[in-house]
Amino acid sequence: DFEASFIRLIDKVTNGSRIEINQTGTTLYYQPGLLYGGSLEHDCSPSRSIGYYLEGLLCLAPFMKHPLKIVLRGVTNDQVDPSVDVLKATALPLLKKFGIDGENLEIKINRRGVPPKGGGEIVFACPVRKVLQPIQFTDPGKIKRIRGTAYSVRVSPQMANRMVESARSILNKFLPDIYIYTDHMKGVSSGKSPGFGMCLTAETINGTILSAELASNPQGQGAPVLPEELGQNCAKLLLDEIYRGGCVDSTNQSLALLLMTLGQRDVSKVLLGPLSPYT
Amino acid sequence: MEEKEKKQHRTKHSGPKAEKKRKRYLSELGIGDEEDARKRNPKAFTVQSAVRMARTFHRTQDLKTKKHHIPVVDRTPLEPPPVVVVVVGPPKVGKSTLIKCLIKNFTRQKLVEIRGPVTIVSGKKRRLTVIECGCDINTMIDLAKVADLVLMLIDASFGFEMETFEFLNICQVHGFPKIMGVLTHLDTFKNNKQLKKTKKKLKHRFWTEVYPGAKLFYLSGMVHGEYQKQEVHNLGRFISVMKFRPLTWQTSHPYVLADRMEELTNPEDVRINPKCDRKISLYGYLRGAHLKNKSQIHMPGVGDFIVSDVSFLPDPCALPEQQKKRSLNEKEKLVYAPLSGVGGIVYDKDAVYIDLGGSHAFQDEVRPNHELVQSLISTHSAIDVKMASSKVSLFTDSRPLGSEDVGQEFVMPKEERKFDMKAGRIRRKALFEEEKENDGVSDEEDDEDEEEAAMSEDGSDGDDEDDAEEKSDTELLEEKMADGRAKRLKREVAKEEAVDELPAFADSDDDLEVSSEEGKTLHEENEMEEDEEEEESTNEDESSDGVFETASKRVAESKQYEINSEDKEIRSQMSGQRLKRKAVLTTDSGNCTAEEASESEAENSFLDEGDDEEGSHDDSEVEESDRKGFRHAQVKKSDSTGWTKFKAVEAEDDDVENLLREEEEYEEKIDSSADTTGALKWKEDLAQKAAQAFLRQQRSTPNLRKLVYGTAVEDEDHESEDTGDELGGLFHVSRPDKASKQKANALDCSKFVIEKLQDWDLEEVMSSIRDCFVTGKWEDDKDAAKLLEEDEELYGDFEDLETGVVHKGKRAAEGDEHESEEEEEDGKMSQPEPKEEEKQKERMDKKRKLKEMFDAEYDEGDATYFDDLKEEMHRQAQLNRAEFEDQDDETRVQYEGFRPGMYVRIEIENVPCEFVLNFDPHYPIILGGLGNSEGNVGYVQLRLKKHRWYKKILKTRDPLILSLGWRRFQTVPMFYIEDHNGRHRLLKYTPQHMHCGATFWGPITPQGTGFLAVQSVSGTTPDFRIAATGVVLDLDKSITIVKKLKLTGFPFKIYKNTSFIKGMFNSQLEVAKFEGAAIRTVSGIRGQIKKALRTPAGAFRATFEDKLLMSDIVFVRTWYPVSIPMFYNPVTSLLKPAGEKDSWSGMKTTGQLRHERGIKLKQNKDSLYKPIVREKRHFNKLHIPKALQKALPFKNKPKNLEKKGKTPKDQWRPAVIREPHEKKISALLSALSTVNNYKVKKAKVKHREKLKEYLKVKQKDDEQKFKRQKEAKKKIYRMLGQREKKRQKSSLKGSSKGEKSM
Repeated sequence: DFEASFIRLIDKVTNGSRIEINQTGTTLYYQPGLLYGGSLEHDCSPSRSIGYYLEGLLCLAPFMKHPLKIVLRGVTNDQVDPSVDVLKATALPLLKKFGIDGENLEIKINRRGVPPKGGGEIVFACPVRKVLQPIQFTDPGKIKRIRGTAYSVRVSPQMANRMVESARSILNKFLPDIYIYTDHMKGVSSGKSPGFGMCLTAETINGTILSAELASNPQGQGAPVLPEELGQNCAKLLLDEIYRGGCVDSTNQSLALLLMTLGQRDVSKVLLGPLSPYT
Repeated sequence: MEEKEKKQHRTKHSGPKAEKKRKRYLSELGIGDEEDARKRNPKAFTVQSAVRMARTFHRTQDLKTKKHHIPVVDRTPLEPPPVVVVVVGPPKVGKSTLIKCLIKNFTRQKLVEIRGPVTIVSGKKRRLTVIECGCDINTMIDLAKVADLVLMLIDASFGFEMETFEFLNICQVHGFPKIMGVLTHLDTFKNNKQLKKTKKKLKHRFWTEVYPGAKLFYLSGMVHGEYQKQEVHNLGRFISVMKFRPLTWQTSHPYVLADRMEELTNPEDVRINPKCDRKISLYGYLRGAHLKNKSQIHMPGVGDFIVSDVSFLPDPCALPEQQKKRSLNEKEKLVYAPLSGVGGIVYDKDAVYIDLGGSHAFQDEVRPNHELVQSLISTHSAIDVKMASSKVSLFTDSRPLGSEDVGQEFVMPKEERKFDMKAGRIRRKALFEEEKENDGVSDEEDDEDEEEAAMSEDGSDGDDEDDAEEKSDTELLEEKMADGRAKRLKREVAKEEAVDELPAFADSDDDLEVSSEEGKTLHEENEMEEDEEEEESTNEDESSDGVFETASKRVAESKQYEINSEDKEIRSQMSGQRLKRKAVLTTDSGNCTAEEASESEAENSFLDEGDDEEGSHDDSEVEESDRKGFRHAQVKKSDSTGWTKFKAVEAEDDDVENLLREEEEYEEKIDSSADTTGALKWKEDLAQKAAQAFLRQQRSTPNLRKLVYGTAVEDEDHESEDTGDELGGLFHVSRPDKASKQKANALDCSKFVIEKLQDWDLEEVMSSIRDCFVTGKWEDDKDAAKLLEEDEELYGDFEDLETGVVHKGKRAAEGDEHESEEEEEDGKMSQPEPKEEEKQKERMDKKRKLKEMFDAEYDEGDATYFDDLKEEMHRQAQLNRAEFEDQDDETRVQYEGFRPGMYVRIEIENVPCEFVLNFDPHYPIILGGLGNSEGNVGYVQLRLKKHRWYKKILKTRDPLILSLGWRRFQTVPMFYIEDHNGRHRLLKYTPQHMHCGATFWGPITPQGTGFLAVQSVSGTTPDFRIAATGVVLDLDKSITIVKKLKLTGFPFKIYKNTSFIKGMFNSQLEVAKFEGAAIRTVSGIRGQIKKALRTPAGAFRATFEDKLLMSDIVFVRTWYPVSIPMFYNPVTSLLKPAGEKDSWSGMKTTGQLRHERGIKLKQNKDSLYKPIVREKRHFNKLHIPKALQKALPFKNKPKNLEKKGKTPKDQWRPAVIREPHEKKISALLSALSTVNNYKVKKAKVKHREKLKEYLKVKQKDDEQKFKRQKEAKKKIYRMLGQREKKRQKSSLKGSSKGEKSM
């Protein structure tokens, strides 16, 4: 049903698309329309996180007719998809590299929502560019800083701090410049279910951003996770990402390649780590 | 006498004497010894007015920036396509003459009949394609879209004609190419003054149309039916140095101006159904953007097609190779115009004359049909190469003959040509498609060739070959092999021989080397594959009879040869090496890695020659998957040693070996890294792990390139696969697409899920990535370069590429790097270079950097945004060029498509037969590439303006022919205008002098594209033909145009402000839909629909701001969306029979139809105008009740207006009847009073005048008085001020004194 939701979303951003689903629901005919954009709102299905929808939008947004500004509601962080935080930290700088920047390129997290119930809300805005700049991006450079957010909703704020502590304990061996924000959402902005997690990004001197993230098990599913453990694992994931290298991290490989193909007729170069199965 | 010889006096201009003189002169003038006026009189040069200064500065800056264009990335290829020069003009103005003269000027050849485009080499770096444009509007539109330069011929004796302006307008719409005017018929002017006047007049008119200062050329007079040589020469010079600004549409779309057309339909099909769709091939230079195979194209005048095949051919009209000379020699002045019969082929209606050139032909001439044959051959296994070469010689002549021959040849009419042929010229008439039927005039060899060619064609068509043909093939094969053997032996003796002269048919072993050495010319590749196929087939497939025979023979031969050669071992190794190479090549082409290659090698290395390579390759892949990394490395090591050994044997330095070396280095690096750090056990472990990871990765992405670039032919291995398929499905390759499978099953998620996390707690693992951080160790080269880098970060960019590569190389040693394609290539380039060269390079780099730094320092001052932008664009252009520079055309074509400048052959299927049957070379054939969404059809919104010279206005539902993008099509536009609230309201007609919107159903074209509209393309009218012009605004898939619809109703019951209205709707439901809508009466009373009534149906209750009258009409304004007719009809003017091509007519307008059929429009009687009759309105008297009257105040009481009754007689006043005397008196009195009145009046006037004068004087006095007073006041104030100042001064002094005293 997240697919249905996604198609509905695509229908919203386009103009004149046709969708036909047969009665048994086994075949889907979709004829896309023109990408239109504009100010929109969409309620995402809580079975997948907003990241799932946002990834699709990131690919399409620069090519809309009107600048896109969309409010997405649903699960902001889960264990399956790249979270909104990660996309905010990695995909946006990547778009900027392609010349898609300006004031209103942003992802704003108004509310956080974790599975199973969600309740998060983000605002994604993206300007439109006539042409994409070609990129020359073959030297990842050395990592100069590590940033991150540790979030906790509807649990003790102490959780976030504990995650940060444990993550730092690992990363400090490599780099002193680590700053992990703790983001504790309260009240309305904390969604409907409890949960916590963290995402880490490593930035190199050349502006390459690598990221990793981990989220706690949703309420009532699986064993409860210790925040310390989660922090450590997340840090390790980041190290693994660094180990794999590349100028674009694994979540955004496809985006980078897509934008390269859709750019002008100029040569773009990018160095990737091992290709993820998705790309 | 002596006096005469005296020297003349010369005044000295320099030296002490002159100086003295000058000083004296200056002092006499009263100027000091300062000569520079600026110094002498600085005041004269100071800023007089800051405002003016600012203004002048602004102005200069404005002028400067006006000259700037937006910089664009230079995408012109190194060898640009010929410049398209379109010669336009009304009939009888001298177009063809000019073209002939130009061609003669550039090539010294005389063409008599010009048909279609003519390509000539005009200079060392420029070619021209000259084409004539008639005054058919279709042609004009098409050619304006592809023109780079327009020569606009104007008959000076007549002046401008409509065609000229039409063409200018077409140009304006479709991007403005360079336009050069040429005035002809200047010799008709006898009067010099008039000539001058006319020239000036025309020039200024031309300038207003094009741009001020546009070049206008004058061709004065004709000499022997030609223009004057010098003038044509000058014109040619102008053309060949002209610069062009790239036009948006042209640079973003590939297009071909076809200069040759051939039909490839199966003759059998044509026989069965003469009207079947044809398959044709078109030839021409590719221009604009890169063309991809299988892309969509549009042929204006024919329709949309999918390119079924594209291939590039050697340039028939190539630029001279070496550029050192100052001018071209005779040989390089080529001309190519197949449609006009130059370039070997003369087109007739149903036949083609092929000019063989005889003994005059140049042997190393370019071969126009080379590729055609190649492609045929490559798909056909058993055809040998000789065939190809002979076929080639068939068409070998882009410029076939000496100039005099050509001259002769074309002066003669057709009949004489035949005669000429009989006279002994090698020239045959070949029927258009069936080349089999040859005349038999040619000699034996040609006969054979023809046959073979025909066969090859058959093969390509997929027909079965009969045995006899095969026999002949094999015979030829044998011949060839004998040849080859001899050559091979020779080669063995002198192995280091220069490879260039190696004949095309060498044996496979040598051939491989050669091909790799020679940059793999297509020719040889094909051959080699064939050979290999044969070998394979001999061992694998015993069924093919003829081939088998020869091949087996050949194997025996080769064995003999082996005995002959020095030692067997080397031989076997050779074979192994060959396989190895092959493997390496495959790895090179694909994304497979060295491991794979070495693997297959390890398996194949000492297998027999005839082993099935592909199979083993696959096997190796499969095996490889479960192989351990460690063993892997070992194998590699052994391999590498093997290679080195081999290198000793064969010291040839070719591509393949470079590759090998690179692999070796790579190997060594791994080994060394393992050695140096290998003391620890974990390292091995790591390496192993890395290898495993690598393998895994490999499996998941089997061949990236193949995935991305589809089934396109890669390198040799893939081609061999293709041919293998053709051979009979023996080597059908079905590589499992693992990645796609994986994708299909997996969760659709971009997150990279890691199965097994590395144990980051271990110290060792951690240290493996330590270097990735700034705190870690920097690489040597980076450290060394670091200082430099930090000094000037400006140029960090330049370095990145190189250092990046090296850096990666090191990291690859750690084994954690996935080798991407680029990297591999880069590595290939940089690695095998010897150390010294590298050092040298480094030094050069340093030097360059220093220079750049220096430059930067000096240029700092005037580096503007514009310059920066330009610089960036330039850099990008260089990068673009550099990226694919080192690859051969084959591979390049795979990646970036066919690049502009190539001579391409485009095959198109399903072309209507009329195109072929009614082919007329006078009409240009253009293949315009379409963007990826431009093939679709949808609603397109335009901004449109009726052309001010078009006489009529356009009606909204009338069909109109638009020229938009590449296309010309008829469609039905709807005109609209945008209201203030963004509503698009339908218009019935276009406004006279205003823009309006238009929407039509037609091909999607990107926003900002210009278009023009004509009512009809058929025939010529004296009027201006272009009806409207405009631009595409928007593309939409939904309709937004609305039409006003007023629903009227009548009140049937009126209460105070509420009324019941009927007649507006028909049912309650309708009313419900309009509840709350605003309604209005004609008299302007506003109201609102409230609720439906039960009876009568459709009636409703409404409230108004005032009470209605029963006579009021109530209406509601609604908007009704208009559906746009989905009518899109491409103009297929090229399908019309010859001579009628300008008579295309599509859908007719209603007006035309009415006119033709004589149907009068039935007019609505109501809408006829008639005189307005206004009845006089009668108002009743106001009646106020008596009771009210009583209550009113007096003021408001109705006055007694009733007439008094007649006054009784007694109350009448008696009339006064005067006596005559009294009458006199009264008359006198009145006369006197008149006089008096007059006097008084006069006096008054006089008095007024006097008063005026007095006031004037008084004012003057006053002024003077005021002045005086003012002066006095001024004086006083000055004094006061002075006094004040003094006081202040004194006080200051006092204070200072005081201070001093303090």
